[in-house]
Amino acid sequence: MDGSSITTRINLRKSIDSMDRRTTQHGSLLFRAPPFRSLAGMMGFACWVIVGVAGSGMAEEPKPVTFARDIKPVLKRLCVGCHGPRKQSGKLRLDTLDPDFVKGTGAETWHDVLNKLNLGEMPPKKAKQPTTAERRMLVGWVTRELQRAERAARSTGGRVVMRRLTRYEYNNTLRDLLGVQLDFAENLPPESVSADGFQNNGSVLGISPIQIEYYLKAARMALGKAIVTGPRPEVFKHHAIKSEKIRRVKGPVSSRLGPDSRFIVRLMKFPREGEVVVRVRAHAVVPPGAGVPRMRIGMGVRADVRAPEKTLAEVDVANSAPRTFTFRGRIESFPLPGHNPKYPGLQVTVYNAYEDGRPKTRKKKKKKKKKAPVEPDPTQPLLVIESVDFEGPVFDAWPPATHTRIFFPTSGQPTERQYAGKILSRFMTRAYRRPVGEDELAGSLALYDKLRTGSPSFEIAIRDVLSLVLVSPEFLYLVEPRNGSASRQPLDNFELASRLSYFLWSTMPDDRLFQLAGKGRLTDQAVRQAQVRRMLKDPRARQFANHFADQWLDLPALDRVAVNPEFHPTFDDRLKRDMRDETRHFFAEILNADLSALNLLKSDFAMLNRRLAGHYGVPLPSGGDMQRVKLSEGSHRGGLLTQGSFLLSNSNGEDSHPIKRAVWVLDRLLDDPPAPPPPDVPDLDPSRPNLAKLSLKQQLEVHRKKEACNNCHRQIDPWGVVFENFDAVGRWRTVVTGPRKKKRGRQPVDATVTLPDGRQVDGVTGIQDYLVEFQSRQFARALVKRLLTYSLGRSLEYSDRRLVDSLTRGFIESDYRLGRLIVAIADSRLFLTK
Amino acid sequence: MTQPSWKISRRTCLQGLGVSLALPLLDGMVHGDQKARQRPRRMCSVYFPFGVAMPRDGSPDRQWGWFPTGIGADYQLTNPLQPLASLRKQVTVLGGLSHPKGRSMGGHDTGDTFLTGAKLSGSSFANTVSIDQYAAAFVGDQTRFPSLTLSSDGGVGEPTRSTTLSFTRSGRPVPALASPQQIFDRLFGKGDGSTESQRRRLEQSGSLLDLLLENSRSLKRRLGTRDKKKLDDYLSSVRAVEKRVQQSQRWLSIPKPKVDPKSVDLDVDQKAPREYLRSMYDLLFLAFQTDTTRLATYMIGQVAGATTIANAFPACIGLKGNWHGLAHGAGKAGGAERLGKFDQFLAEQFGYFLQRLHETSEGDGTLLDHTLVLYGSSNSRTHQNRNYPLVLAGGTGLGLKHGHYRRYGNDVPLSNLFVTMLDRIGVPVKGFADSTAEMSDLLA
Repeated sequence: MDGSSITTRINLRKSIDSMDRRTTQHGSLLFRAPPFRSLAGMMGFACWVIVGVAGSGMAEEPKPVTFARDIKPVLKRLCVGCHGPRKQSGKLRLDTLDPDFVKGTGAETWHDVLNKLNLGEMPPKKAKQPTTAERRMLVGWVTRELQRAERAARSTGGRVVMRRLTRYEYNNTLRDLLGVQLDFAENLPPESVSADGFQNNGSVLGISPIQIEYYLKAARMALGKAIVTGPRPEVFKHHAIKSEKIRRVKGPVSSRLGPDSRFIVRLMKFPREGEVVVRVRAHAVVPPGAGVPRMRIGMGVRADVRAPEKTLAEVDVANSAPRTFTFRGRIESFPLPGHNPKYPGLQVTVYNAYEDGRPKTRKKKKKKKKKAPVEPDPTQPLLVIESVDFEGPVFDAWPPATHTRIFFPTSGQPTERQYAGKILSRFMTRAYRRPVGEDELAGSLALYDKLRTGSPSFEIAIRDVLSLVLVSPEFLYLVEPRNGSASRQPLDNFELASRLSYFLWSTMPDDRLFQLAGKGRLTDQAVRQAQVRRMLKDPRARQFANHFADQWLDLPALDRVAVNPEFHPTFDDRLKRDMRDETRHFFAEILNADLSALNLLKSDFAMLNRRLAGHYGVPLPSGGDMQRVKLSEGSHRGGLLTQGSFLLSNSNGEDSHPIKRAVWVLDRLLDDPPAPPPPDVPDLDPSRPNLAKLSLKQQLEVHRKKEACNNCHRQIDPWGVVFENFDAVGRWRTVVTGPRKKKRGRQPVDATVTLPDGRQVDGVTGIQDYLVEFQSRQFARALVKRLLTYSLGRSLEYSDRRLVDSLTRGFIESDYRLGRLIVAIADSRLFLTK
Repeated sequence: MTQPSWKISRRTCLQGLGVSLALPLLDGMVHGDQKARQRPRRMCSVYFPFGVAMPRDGSPDRQWGWFPTGIGADYQLTNPLQPLASLRKQVTVLGGLSHPKGRSMGGHDTGDTFLTGAKLSGSSFANTVSIDQYAAAFVGDQTRFPSLTLSSDGGVGEPTRSTTLSFTRSGRPVPALASPQQIFDRLFGKGDGSTESQRRRLEQSGSLLDLLLENSRSLKRRLGTRDKKKLDDYLSSVRAVEKRVQQSQRWLSIPKPKVDPKSVDLDVDQKAPREYLRSMYDLLFLAFQTDTTRLATYMIGQVAGATTIANAFPACIGLKGNWHGLAHGAGKAGGAERLGKFDQFLAEQFGYFLQRLHETSEGDGTLLDHTLVLYGSSNSRTHQNRNYPLVLAGGTGLGLKHGHYRRYGNDVPLSNLFVTMLDRIGVPVKGFADSTAEMSDLLA
């Protein structure tokens, strides 16, 4: 595809942006399962209007359609007879309906017209009919104009709207500001998602009284943890070299842990607040052919049947000589016994969470033997525990660093009020991520004066004033004030530091960025580029990889599918988390190892742990952590399109859902989503015999014979049918089978399709090769757009297309390196101005 | 539970219900006959998505159709609403009603307007006030919480896919709570320590919020137009909290009702819909019983199969398929039964809620006779925004007359029902949304 054809289509594609969120929602609906796969159920909701042509391609390049030249004559010939000056059937008059959807008032009426056209209800059967080309042209024009109107109404004039921190940004920021590791955002309402799929869009991020209440509560709670008022607390220590034997606990307890056995530590005295440390000295005994054991530490209440606990840590243990593993956590995050409980004490449990990687059928639990075998299975790896140590609360000094960071030591003998001023000034500078003005400081000091008299101590008065800071708009929002002028203005150094750190770290700038901003160095291109590279190497850049992958690829969709165990008896629900992690790690690996982003389409490696590799049926890596696995030829794996996160979340939990998969590919990877389905789509003709006996591909063909459906589906279906070799949960198959118990209806998979551009493609390998060869530019552009959207925190608009073009060119020239693209985005005019 | 005299000591134990109340010194304990007039009037609305099974009359699976057969007082309940049979004198089944403006909206878009009657159009999808928030403006200050907004998804979702039924007077969504534990803590949990420190905290909050509003004025001057609007949203939220703080100061001297957390299963989540729905209903019940609020909404699921957690409810209780899929398949052979079974499951949980209200005495009647409960969906068949399946329950002590299946024509907007409901709970109302009249046929 050459450059000019891309440009002619930008407008079109951009207009589709607005619809994609809603299309995805439609797409997820599920069709009925038994007796076998029924396409009819799928059609009722998954009928799409295609207006874009990207995926569909190069064969037909549409000329821009204009109302006066193309649409009006057709309407006049076919419609105005009944909907015109003489008659207004259904109170509709088309000859005077305003064709300007943005400025006019006719958009809603045009929408009704579109629905009638799509359903084939108009023109009526006995009246003169439009040709197929005319029908497509009308549908395409109305759809496009509707989208254009929607986009125009949502425009923010190419600027970022003052945006609130998202839940995760808020949580990270509070943690970094105060140095307290807790989940501060757990009570905040879930975030809405913008039309293009992102949570960090300033226009979409709302606020409500209940949120303010929770912010205030979280601020007080967090400050209560950071600032200490009492004496140095008692430190509890416990050393265990043997597991407790507890009658109520099922399964063996031991120091030599096979899978499913455990080492239990019981603490009768423990802190209820603060950071605690658990140190485990352990090694692994690995029989040949097995993987390495996996240590999981659970901590929680002692109870009679099922002990509520939370996981402190989970790691692979590969060392054959003993080694000490150290884990930290805040005790408040764990379930703690109430006062005067039936079973007092805290329980720390070490498990061997090894999975051999063989998929197991969920069976009804057999009655457990009373005495479990003491010697574990010799084919399974052992986790040998030498000792477990508990200590808490731990702090490097008293008062701890979280406290002295706020109440820092001062030289000289300032008065209490002078000291308060210094504390506030320093804290506010970090919280607002910029120097604070005199008036702002005076405001906070005024509150301090007011509260100090009624407060039991200086610290408490300060704490209460700081909670004001933490609910201020300057903390909760990324504020970029403007001078009076309407033109674009450059960001100042501190605004730049925040944009960078929220883009790449999802949190506040670190000291280094603050320092550079203070010296005015971040506006220097070389300094800034060096910082971006430093930031990408920092572990915090994981935040970027995770959140961007989550939102771009809609990984949370995995949790919205319920897998039916009758169809997939070996599916373990933990695989959903593995699948999400696989895609996150895969994206991060491409970013960190500086690989071509085309690996996202097709790669010769995958990021897998043992359980997921077992599920996919590829050679098993050693442990439970995601690791890079080289794929052999014919493994059918490699790239996003072979990952469970795409395959399962675009299924219905029983079988694959080709239309959802197609929409996902067109939308997320090629940035050309089909428009949402018309409101009431008729079913396929049920009188047609043996519909259910046809293969899915044949059913889709029948469906496309209906002209109203064919308009759209000829451009959608092939993009999903190519993945038919993957079942609902992402396993490879060559025949389609029904539920486990029903043997009938086995049909061979047929994943050969003809794409809208006329090319024949066979299965997943075929489509991967096709995408890499013919659509890499389109994919690059789609990725650039999503990344730019995420980095700016706003939806893209028509006026942004030049930047998208030039970023895409640079991205392709750099051989699709994400790191270079990120540097280029951070150097772009849109990123540097407000 | 046997009913003790209402004139009892301040502390009473309603342990048959698992509730022990430390009743605030409110009207209940004081004057015998004034109290009847002052008994709280409540309103609760429950919504479910995707519509119901509606096989044709005379078809073999008609028994799985949601709407009853027959009409008027002689109607017969079919299978899905069978769980309400014992409450026949407390419920009216309503057919044919819908919001006229919703009829031309997308099939997925009307959950938002179930309680508002608005037309969501253009790109802003601006909504209008919902009945509960409308009522809260008049009667909300009589309880600790003006209203309670729940949903299985929590939060607000996005326009046309909102995960809340409640919208403020400016049409903004009110975030819904989804976790039973969180709801319980909010309604009945301890604040932070003693009353004195709470008072100090509230006073502080007052000055703090004051100052916040003041500080933001100078910030506002330096912002562009769109940013100003964002800051305004923020400030109006702060003002709302400030108002709540003032209200709370009044409630300070009155302790929160003591409710035994063990009386509700708080350790449930949406993966176990039966237990989860029961807990949500239990919390609604407790909120009403303790007069913690008088207005509540609960959205069991929203109409986007892709995002609502409720889509998996049927599968979680062992039925085949996801909710949206069942709804789409309701017209196929055997489909009515498959969806009908789930409709029945929902009615069972709803019936449990009504039964609890009905079995709990209050004054000379029951909780239910002073509570109006609306239950239903904004779809009849899947994505058809007409002929909402609706049940109106309770309120016989407020003048309602039940025991009928009533059908209405297209000319009766659903908002007429809202007018009657609001009027019955003592909210002054001339009209609501596009209402044209009251529904006096529902009154005794």
